Amino acid sequence: MSEDQLSRRELLKRAGAGAAAVGAAGAAAPFSFAGPMKFKNRQLKGDLSIIQWVHFVPAYDDWLDKTWIPQWSAANDVQVKIEHINNTLLDTRAAAEVAAQSGHDLFMNLHPMASYEDQVINHAPIIKEIEGKVGKYGALAKASTYNPKTKKYFAVSDNYVPDPVVWRHDLWNGVGEAPYTWDHVRKAAPKLKAVGHPIGIGQSQELDSNMALLAFMMCFGAFVQNDTNRPVLNTKKTIQAVNFMVDIYKNGEDSAIFGWNPASNNNYLYSGTASMILNAISATRTPEAQNLPFTNDLWIWPIPSGPGGRHGLEHVMGCYNIWKFAANKENASQFLVDLCVNYKQATIASQLYNFPSFPGAFPFKQIRKAAAADTHKPKGKYTILTTIAEKYTHNIGYPGTMNAAMDEVFSKFLVPQMFAQVSQGKLSAADSVRSTASQVNEIYAKWKERGKI
Amino acid sequence: MGAVAAAGGSRKRLRYVAERRGFLATLLISPAVVLIAVLVGGPLILAGYLSFTDAQAGSLTGKWIGLANFRRVLHDPIFRGALWHTFLFTVLSQIVVIVCAGLIAHALVRGFRGRWLLRFFILLPWAAPIALTAIGFLWFYDPQASIFNWFLIKLHIVDPTSLPNWLGTPKAAMSSIITVQAWRTIPFAVVIFIAGISSIPQEVDDAAAIDAATGLKKFWYVSLPLQLPIAIVAVLFGIIFTATDMIVPFILTNGGPFNSTQVLTTYAFQTGINAGNIGEGAAIALFMLPVLAFVAIGMLVFARRAEVT
Amino acid sequence: MTSAWRHRLFVYGITIPFAVVLAFPFFWMGVTSLKPEAQVYDPTKVWRFHATLANYGYLFHHTEYVRWLRNSCFVGLLVVLVTLAVALPAGYALARLSGRVGRTLGVAIFLTYLVPPTLLFLPLSRVIAQYFHLSDRLWALVLVYPSFTIPFAIWLLMGFFKTIPQELEDAALVDGCSRLGALVRIVFPISIPGILTVVIFSFSLVLNEFVYAITFISSSANRTLTVGVPTDLIRGDLFNWPGIMAAILIPSIPLALVYNAFLNRFIAGFTGGAFR
Repeated sequence: MSEDQLSRRELLKRAGAGAAAVGAAGAAAPFSFAGPMKFKNRQLKGDLSIIQWVHFVPAYDDWLDKTWIPQWSAANDVQVKIEHINNTLLDTRAAAEVAAQSGHDLFMNLHPMASYEDQVINHAPIIKEIEGKVGKYGALAKASTYNPKTKKYFAVSDNYVPDPVVWRHDLWNGVGEAPYTWDHVRKAAPKLKAVGHPIGIGQSQELDSNMALLAFMMCFGAFVQNDTNRPVLNTKKTIQAVNFMVDIYKNGEDSAIFGWNPASNNNYLYSGTASMILNAISATRTPEAQNLPFTNDLWIWPIPSGPGGRHGLEHVMGCYNIWKFAANKENASQFLVDLCVNYKQATIASQLYNFPSFPGAFPFKQIRKAAAADTHKPKGKYTILTTIAEKYTHNIGYPGTMNAAMDEVFSKFLVPQMFAQVSQGKLSAADSVRSTASQVNEIYAKWKERGKI
Repeated sequence: MGAVAAAGGSRKRLRYVAERRGFLATLLISPAVVLIAVLVGGPLILAGYLSFTDAQAGSLTGKWIGLANFRRVLHDPIFRGALWHTFLFTVLSQIVVIVCAGLIAHALVRGFRGRWLLRFFILLPWAAPIALTAIGFLWFYDPQASIFNWFLIKLHIVDPTSLPNWLGTPKAAMSSIITVQAWRTIPFAVVIFIAGISSIPQEVDDAAAIDAATGLKKFWYVSLPLQLPIAIVAVLFGIIFTATDMIVPFILTNGGPFNSTQVLTTYAFQTGINAGNIGEGAAIALFMLPVLAFVAIGMLVFARRAEVT
Repeated sequence: MTSAWRHRLFVYGITIPFAVVLAFPFFWMGVTSLKPEAQVYDPTKVWRFHATLANYGYLFHHTEYVRWLRNSCFVGLLVVLVTLAVALPAGYALARLSGRVGRTLGVAIFLTYLVPPTLLFLPLSRVIAQYFHLSDRLWALVLVYPSFTIPFAIWLLMGFFKTIPQELEDAALVDGCSRLGALVRIVFPISIPGILTVVIFSFSLVLNEFVYAITFISSSANRTLTVGVPTDLIRGDLFNWPGIMAAILIPSIPLALVYNAFLNRFIAGFTGGAFR
């Protein structure tokens, strides 16, 4: 592909011909993970340790560990050790590393760790350097990793993942509907359930449910906080949103949605049961890889619109931070800069799962071209991703910014709880919203006391 | 243990010292005391300190805020729920364990053909690492492919269209974690109960036979009182291990659905680690301490009183 | 009904149903581990499917499973040794220490279990990293695990030593043995069943541990079983169910066999004595 050749040329220019030869050789080397590189009896000068998640699209980790890191390592004379752990365990490791005051130089998490602001360096210089090369930091990323109160960048986001709905075109066609708006979804839900293919929007204590329900609320004009980071949960619109979703559940979903983990809605889809889920495109890439029978009937659309508009969230956002106690801050910074500047390769390696947080690294027009070249049917289905990314993707905490209080609301799964209580008949919508709002208010008050918002 | 060393007079003197009971006892106990003091006592004190501060995000220091964490936590409806769930989870699972393990132990102490094989099956849940079997139970309770549901359907106990969602509805989820906890603890209790039963001296058995006390009568008046001390300790360990262990609820339900299986340990973890609120998490975790200590001491006193010398 | 039949009814009537219930999950694990991954959710292939050993092959050749097994065994054995070295003398001393001191210390042993590791791991990780410099080394686990195996071992051995009559040691003393000598030459050989028990319980406690393993170990090569399986066999949204089932079965069956074998000796050590 011409894009690949271009990027290799860019790399050559930067690294010099000798390193390029090294890079080419390294790309072919058969190791299972990027461990210490002993290269031609030459000890590499510097060190760098990185920890991040096991990517939902295995091709990305393959690219990162076997292509990108060996090339970068040789070009910068740095020995890179990278660890991958399950995304649910990242929070634990972060706490342990901070408690121990020792750990990896670069720590990556799937959500910006706002509460760790005091433990990390100010990443402003890194961001400025990247901006100098590829253009401005995306608004979405900035709202997620910048604290306007303390004026500190507490993380660098290298990527975000747009969150579409993935729906079974054949099934929806069968009942004569399509998910343009949430009203359409509500109308179609009972019909789909009747033919044994309910909708699958989780209301569990896990990441996907959190994202889906927060985005759903936004489509009804209901938000956890406003643009000045003050909690505004208890409104009529929130109650309306809750009632609407409960209606969808009662008529069009089954109780499986209450006991999910982040993989469950995907599996619900892969087993052929679900007619629609809210998930990133790992939900289509895996069926493609496994040749599931309905792969070509999986369509990707933006989130349905509601009375409050069409608002979505990023599914996950990759955020790297550098601890204050990191041993190799310079190497870490350099790695981040190089990765973000060359993010085009990463996006392609991830099969368009990762979108660059610095849009200049891979402009939407070019992403659309790459998506259009994707041969999976229906042809061009991934081009909608750029539209979603451009227009319908907000940060957690929209219309405000991501902060420690929002982080805590998110980590305690208060929003899924708010919905699930009503769906299961434990509380009325008004009561559930009120009690959740009071918990939210307490959390915000606490962090305000600490001067973080 | 090489306290005895050197030559001549000093050897004699050291030997005399080593003979002194108290000294030897202290020497023998001290490694254990030191290790526990460093690895448990120290962190415990630190955790206690943290619960009075606003420490956050893995930091081990914070501003002193007195009882604010405890007050806020008592206000929290999720916490109050977690208290209740911990109680339910511990008590119900241990009741199941005691009853089942008691029965099994009494059966296993008798010799019979096939005992070795049956004992092997019974020991399996305890031999397998719980962190892995808990993930295995995620598969058994899977909303779509659960083998339990398959049996329930085949036995016509439930309707295929209204399958129970074992991890998704509050009552079912609670009973699921209780079941798994009981399942993994029963073999452990069986082993301890067997020890208790086997330790009843033969003379007691014979005396009971002479007095024509057999079966249930013998159990109630003879076996049970003799086993009580060790049974109580087994139950106590079961209670403590269950109340302080977070693996089963963490992996199966992560506190869900909507916090209806949240127990103190998982909530402390969620608050302290996921939400970055170390001080509050420590306060939640330490809440159990006085309660459990009270229960432990109470049961041990009772066990000592029940001892038949 | 003759007493022999009553005996058989009681014994089989209890053990067989319980054995079935307790062991059935493992049977189902075995079945699942033999299914090809794509058929695991297929409702038409619950019992009729093409059995394959591919999942076991995957475990051994495409993951670091063998290494994790080795790490778990390594940690387990060392922790057992440390536990025995510390708990044997302590248990003996506490058993012979009559009066309030012994009893108070005995109670204190339980109290160490009241603290959940869910938060203890934070201060401990500081200790491990800063003072011992054992971050990401298995030795960190070897150092920390005895903190929860030793109290239980002490309790076990305490009770066990109490069944050994004081007269045995006194006789040895009369014969000119030093107290220490009596300990080593007379008491410890008799306490083999107790030692075996401690071995079993400690090893099982080590294998079940999760929080510390996650905290102190990060690199894939140093992972133990409990950490490696969730990390490498759960790829984001794809649970490799057959692989996971195989991973559970492989250590469990031998362990249960070993425990079963040790159990006889363990019980032999307790019969014929009052266990207090």
